Formats: sequence, C-alpha cells, structure tokens
Amino acid sequence: MRDGIEVARQDRAVVALVTEQFWPQGDFVAQSNGMPDVPRLRLPHPVAGSGHDAMDVLAARIAPELVAILRGERTGDNVPIGA
Amino acid sequence: MPNLPPATFQAADEVEALELLHQHQCTDGLPVVIPTPERVDRMVLASGLDADIDLGTMGPGGGATTIVQVATNAVMAGCLPDYMPVVVAAMQAMLQPDFDLAEVQSTTHSIAPLMIVNGPMITACDLTGGFGALGPGHRANASIGRAVRLCMMNIGGARPGTSDMALLGHPGKFSFCMAEDEASSPWEPLSESLGYAPGTSAVTIVGTEAPHNVVFVNNADDPNSPQRLLRALAAVMANTGSNNASFSGGTVAVALNPEHAEVLHQAGMTRRDVQNALHQLATNKRGHLLDIAAGFIKNGDHDDDIPAVKDADNVIVYVGGASGLYSAVFPSWAAGAHNNPVVHHPIETDQACVIPGMENLVVAGDAL
Repeated sequence: MRDGIEVARQDRAVVALVTEQFWPQGDFVAQSNGMPDVPRLRLPHPVAGSGHDAMDVLAARIAPELVAILRGERTGDNVPIGA
Repeated sequence: MPNLPPATFQAADEVEALELLHQHQCTDGLPVVIPTPERVDRMVLASGLDADIDLGTMGPGGGATTIVQVATNAVMAGCLPDYMPVVVAAMQAMLQPDFDLAEVQSTTHSIAPLMIVNGPMITACDLTGGFGALGPGHRANASIGRAVRLCMMNIGGARPGTSDMALLGHPGKFSFCMAEDEASSPWEPLSESLGYAPGTSAVTIVGTEAPHNVVFVNNADDPNSPQRLLRALAAVMANTGSNNASFSGGTVAVALNPEHAEVLHQAGMTRRDVQNALHQLATNKRGHLLDIAAGFIKNGDHDDDIPAVKDADNVIVYVGGASGLYSAVFPSWAAGAHNNPVVHHPIETDQACVIPGMENLVVAGDAL
C-alpha cells in the first residue's frame, strides 16, 4: 500500500494490490497518509509462495480488472471517499 | 490519522478511566497509570522541555511526537519523572530516518527496539544491566521500555493486525530496555565506542528479535577457549532460518555476560576485535542456505561463505546479564530501506528541574 501511495504522489496512475490479510493495514496506511482514494484490488491470501500455476490463474483474473481501474472504467475494491 | 482515540478522556474515577483507555486500545493490554493532567504536567516538567516541542512524525500513523505526548505515555508506563530524559532520547534515536520506524512498526517480522543505556543516567535512574536485566522486577528498565512501546502504539498508531503486522511478536514488544553493565565490562562503554565522550549518557537502539541464549563454559587450560566462545556466538548469529542468515544483513546485538567478556579480554581482544571476529565467523555456506531458504539466496558456488551481517559495525557488542554460562545474541530483521542499522542519541540531562511537590526525590540533573 505504501508503495502505491508513493507512486500516486508522483501523479502516476496506480493500483495497489493488497491481500485479504493485509486489507485493514491498507486502510490504515492509506488513511494515515491522507490518500484513502488510491485504488486497491483485494487479492486472496497468500499469494507469495502459492506457485506459478496459481499465480498465473490469479494474474489472468485480475489483469482485466486492473486495466479497467487504470482506464477509469471501474473503481478499486476500496470505497472512495464520497462514493 | 485514522480511528484515533480522543486527545483527552473524561471519567468519573480511575477505574472508569482505565476501562476507557483499554476500550480505545491505548494500553498494551496491561493496566496503566492514569495520565491525569497533573501527572503529565510533572512528567513534562521533568523533561525540561516545552510541552509542544515536536520531536518528529511517528509512523505508521503519522502522529506528532510532542513532549506532552511522550510524557503521557511515560506516565501510563509507570515511569518516574527522573526517567523522562531517557524516554525522550529513545524517541529522538528511533525517529532518525535510518531507523525506518514506520516500517519497523508495520513489518510482519517480530522486531522490537532493544534499548541499551550508557552513562551516568544508569545510576540516576537505577537502571540495571545485571541479573535478569531484560526480565521482570526492575522498575526503571521495565517502565522506560514500556513507555517507548506505548509511544509507538499511541503516537505511531501501531495496533496488532491493523498497523503492527508482526505475525507473532515477542515479549520484548512490551518492554525491551537495559543498561550496559559498565562496571563489569573490561572495555570502554558501548556509547564511547559509538563516539560519545566519557561521562555522556546515551541510549543505543537496535531493532531485534528476542534474545537467544548462547551457552559456553570457559576452560582456562585450553588456549582455544576464547575462539570456542567466539564460534558459539557466531553460530547463533548465523542461525539458519533467521533473517540475518537468509538476507545477509541487518544489525545483530550480542550481550556478553561479564565472565564471557573477560575471557575475550584476557585473550587480548578489544571490543572492535570481537566485532571483527564475529563478523568473519558468522557465515553459512551458500549451498546450505539454498537448501533451506532458496527464495532468498542467489545461486552461485555452494562453497561460498555468506555472512550473516555485512560489516563488523553491524555487530553491537555490549556487556550485560550476570556472570555464568549464558550470553545472548539478538538476531534481527535485516530489512527496511536502511537495512536495520543501529541508532543512538545522547540523553539530555541538563534540562531537568525540581518538580513542585517532589523536592525530596532525586532528580536526574541533581544526581549527576
């Protein structure tokens, strides 16, 4: 989440990938850095160590969602302020 | 900051106040001294600093580390006003960018700031570096370390599972503070080895895991005995499965009990010699690490020696604990933007003043 915020601060389009277990921390970091609207996608946990096949499946699933967020066609899984 | 408790609470009595503090996650889970305005004022006064002085922003929550905030947490931890300069110095040390405090607080690793105090403040506060220095029963050690933790929670916003993501944690996350046993050390105080003048009080902080015992019995008839001690310490430093072994970095603290320190001193070793020797000895073969932690180790010659720390400066050697069979190694995190370095800060002892109503107590500045 922190990496995503750093990229967003450079005025670049970004989507933070945050696993289920770290979603509350994502909320905390985003809010405490004053950037709760940085879009996030919620991933299952764990991703690391789940193996290439599982990661391929996950990547195939989230890639269109990620592109849609970057294109502004949908919002992230976090609820933007004012939404 | 998100979900912060209100700056002040109103309660009918101290029992209700304690429950309020627990409900708002302002405690470490144990009862605290209620930080009434009068108690906090006394603690601020003992610092000799203005209440609104801001020592820096503390992550991950981004709270302002003002003197009044530090004082509030010191009261809650059970500190005497005399301890306040040590707590303030610890804040100043940990807020240095090199310490990566926001990341230290947020990581899944079980890192906690180990505080080592040197100088006249050891006596002024009645800190100990001897028997059970990191265990229960020592008021100054326990409450100063606890004050630092409560600051990390209430100013830095660290809460388990939300912003403090340590998967398990360790008991040192309640309190992790001790003095160096300067009187029993054969070497100059740790603070002098870090550049402080003799007689200067200072706090040295390394983010570490809990202490790991190292058992060793000297044999005065064996000329290799000092080398055996060094190898035992280095073996624990290079404990495979640890972050240091896997990431080949971070800073490791080594608490030598006075007997073990004397073995090395009698062998003609300075503190620096010990640091150099441990850095050189604390290694693993690449092939061994690849068998265990393949995801972290680059491929290469399996006979390469992979050091547990990058440099002798990343081995903090100090004297502590009572004499006997056991010394201790504190493995560490070996991560963060600055790779888990040691930080330190002088303890300002000339700011203290007499606190109204407590004239008969020893005040830090007077005791020096």
